[in-house]
Amino acid sequence: MITLSYKGNNTFLEAVNKKSGSDVLECYQCGKCVSTCPVSNFMDFPPREIMQMIKLELKEEAQMANSTWFCLTCSACSGRCPREINIPAVMEAVRHLAIEENFHPDSKQVKNIRKFHEIFLAMIKRYGRNYELRMMAEFNIRTRNLFKDMHLAPTALLKGKIPLGVKSMKSAKAIKKMYEMAEKLEQLNK
Amino acid sequence: MARVGVFVCFCGANIADFVDVPTVVEEAKKIREVKFAVDYKYMCSDPGQQMIRDAIVQYRLTSIVVAACSPRMHEKTFRKALSDAGMNPYLLEVANIREHSSWVHQKDKKAATEKAGDLVRMAVAKSIANEQLHEISVPVTKRALVIGGGIAGIQAALDIADAHIPVTLVERSPSIGGRMAQLDETFPTLDCSQCILTPKMVDVASHPYIELIPYSEVIELNGYVGNYKAKIRKKASYVNFKTCTGCGTCWQKCPVKVPNEYNMGIDKRKAIYTPFPQAVPNKPVIDAEHCTYLLKGKCGICAKFCEKGSIDFKMQDEVIEREIGAVVVATGYDLWDATPYEEYGVGRYKDIINSLEFERMVSANGPTGGLPIRPSDGKVPKTVVFIKCVGSRDKAKGIEFCSKICCMYTAKHAILLHHKVHDSRAYIFYMDIRAAGKGYEEFVNRAQVETGAVYLRGRVSKIYQKGEKLMVRGEDGQLGREVEVEADLVVLATAIIPYKTNPALAQLLGISYDKYGYLSEAHPKLRPVETAKAGIFLAGCTQAPKDIPDTVAQASACAAKVCGLFAGDTMKKDPMISTVNNEFCSGCQNCVQVCPYQAIVTEEIPLGHGAREMRTVAKINEGVCQGCGSCVAVCRSMAINLAGFTDPQIINEIVAI
Repeated sequence: MITLSYKGNNTFLEAVNKKSGSDVLECYQCGKCVSTCPVSNFMDFPPREIMQMIKLELKEEAQMANSTWFCLTCSACSGRCPREINIPAVMEAVRHLAIEENFHPDSKQVKNIRKFHEIFLAMIKRYGRNYELRMMAEFNIRTRNLFKDMHLAPTALLKGKIPLGVKSMKSAKAIKKMYEMAEKLEQLNK
Repeated sequence: MARVGVFVCFCGANIADFVDVPTVVEEAKKIREVKFAVDYKYMCSDPGQQMIRDAIVQYRLTSIVVAACSPRMHEKTFRKALSDAGMNPYLLEVANIREHSSWVHQKDKKAATEKAGDLVRMAVAKSIANEQLHEISVPVTKRALVIGGGIAGIQAALDIADAHIPVTLVERSPSIGGRMAQLDETFPTLDCSQCILTPKMVDVASHPYIELIPYSEVIELNGYVGNYKAKIRKKASYVNFKTCTGCGTCWQKCPVKVPNEYNMGIDKRKAIYTPFPQAVPNKPVIDAEHCTYLLKGKCGICAKFCEKGSIDFKMQDEVIEREIGAVVVATGYDLWDATPYEEYGVGRYKDIINSLEFERMVSANGPTGGLPIRPSDGKVPKTVVFIKCVGSRDKAKGIEFCSKICCMYTAKHAILLHHKVHDSRAYIFYMDIRAAGKGYEEFVNRAQVETGAVYLRGRVSKIYQKGEKLMVRGEDGQLGREVEVEADLVVLATAIIPYKTNPALAQLLGISYDKYGYLSEAHPKLRPVETAKAGIFLAGCTQAPKDIPDTVAQASACAAKVCGLFAGDTMKKDPMISTVNNEFCSGCQNCVQVCPYQAIVTEEIPLGHGAREMRTVAKINEGVCQGCGSCVAVCRSMAINLAGFTDPQIINEIVAI
């Protein structure tokens, strides 16, 4: 049972809107995002329901949903949204709020997704691009699942799908600088 | 000896593909009376008509048979061809060999051809007995009666009067304005209702071609299109409008307080009152049901204070008569009483109001000065729940239709609530959002995005009290979960129903109405403003729920219809109507019963030549008769004949097959 009443402004909505740059109130619940989304089948609450939760200020439920973590940010939904809502940005905003407040699902899946994000960002910071082989190895080590997808490795390596090294990038330094600036900005915003 | 010409049409391929047209012509030629028969590709075209005109002269034809499409399509065309050739147009017969043969017997050409031959034979036989008929001219009284002074009646009256046609506008209450005068702002543009309506009300009062009769009702309507006689009862107002200046002393002094209908009973008015400050006419009336003087013979304070001596307690109801040519019915709507919704506690909880009550509260000239309040404690509500489809679309409660305007006015109410109480939120329980109209969808979006109104898809299952709050339980269909809103105020968008007097009015006007009391139009698509009775038109919510733009459009359509009716000094009418042969009429009055147009009355005639004793016979009003033939069918003494379909004509047809 959801109990609703007016208790001042919907601060959750305001925060999500501010972070995402979209207005969730624009959503008219058509569900086109849900049928577009390649992973909505795996979500506990599809994007449309997340939108409704934000409207109803069901903050805890929205943050505890695994949907925002499962979102691939592929932008298929926002490309088709008739109300021009940047849905991945909204999903991301909810996810970020959840991280800031340290209130999010601590299921293994979500933990792994967080680890994946962290490793990926670290790779970019370090090399300016993704070092795939190292990323896979680190992910398998950190998730304590050493042999995950290992059976695919020989074929992938032989066919050159996974390069053994990583080519250095001219702009790697610039990217590192971007990271530092972003971190500073984050500090300032806090 | 009759000389018949037969003209068979190919209708391009429509007839020719399935009926062997030359064979039909040959068959026709075999008939003794047929002096000329021919076929042509398109008989309705000008060369085709010319063939008819030429043949009439050349072969001295006495009647014409055209075997072609339905007479509904081209009977008029061919009649005109006949009269152009100097022949009486009613000597034409149309054999419908398209709809009645080629189109329905596409699989069997031989049988279709045979049937077409039969149809032609019948038409030829009938045409031999055709008589020369002449159009009937009916005089027209160029005055329109408009019943109801809401926006529909006002618009119709103004449009008709602007065409210099006199209008009598009859309004039941003391002022015109109707429901629209009660509204605050109107969707989808949020114009102030008063600002756009009151100028029109003043126009009505000052228009040289409009006679405004407020506080009165139509009690009788006799006659037929162009020649109606209406009786109007002017209710006693007990105030002499000629001398009254509308100064207001009387209603300030009056000690009797009565629930104010204009404000939906939220505040009180006096027993002598004008409904609202912008009333037209702005003269007070005394409410006889509540006036102490009229009830008990004491008080009379208003009379004592009236400087002009305008109060007249001896005034009586007055019945006046008007001769009119057309009627526009615009009696408007009422809100359904939601008491059957026991699960909502309607009537039990004070803080459940209907949408018109909310409208009055948020209205700038309303009883609360434009602020919504809780009737129970007068506090300003923060959480307001709006429930749509209360009554509407609820078969169990007896109303199956959609009230059409609730989606829009609820969105408007959400916006108005936000305007009046900034720190508030509207929760709207809906089934569908029906926002079909120019700028409507955008307006609903505005309610959702700008004011943050929360739309919850589902019907409310119950409302119960918990402390000061009303707990509204329903489902949020979007999440598929039960929700409960702690509401300060609940507003019900109850169904729109016609006035309860509509059936009685329909009966006295002689028009039909549906099970809800809505007056019926002649055709739902192609004749939406006409009724089945000629000269009576419908505007506004008396026909079905509709919003202001639709109402105004329909009212203007009525005006166009009335102006069209009054375009000439007389109306031309088809001569194919019934006549009674008094010699045979037994006075059984079966025909009076079956006539759908109430065209048949009875009259007394001497029993015999010069006799004193009288007997009753039927009499047909040729202005009203539409020539349907129902009376002919029920007349057991065969006293009634329908011109164009006389017994000899029909018998000839039967004999021919």
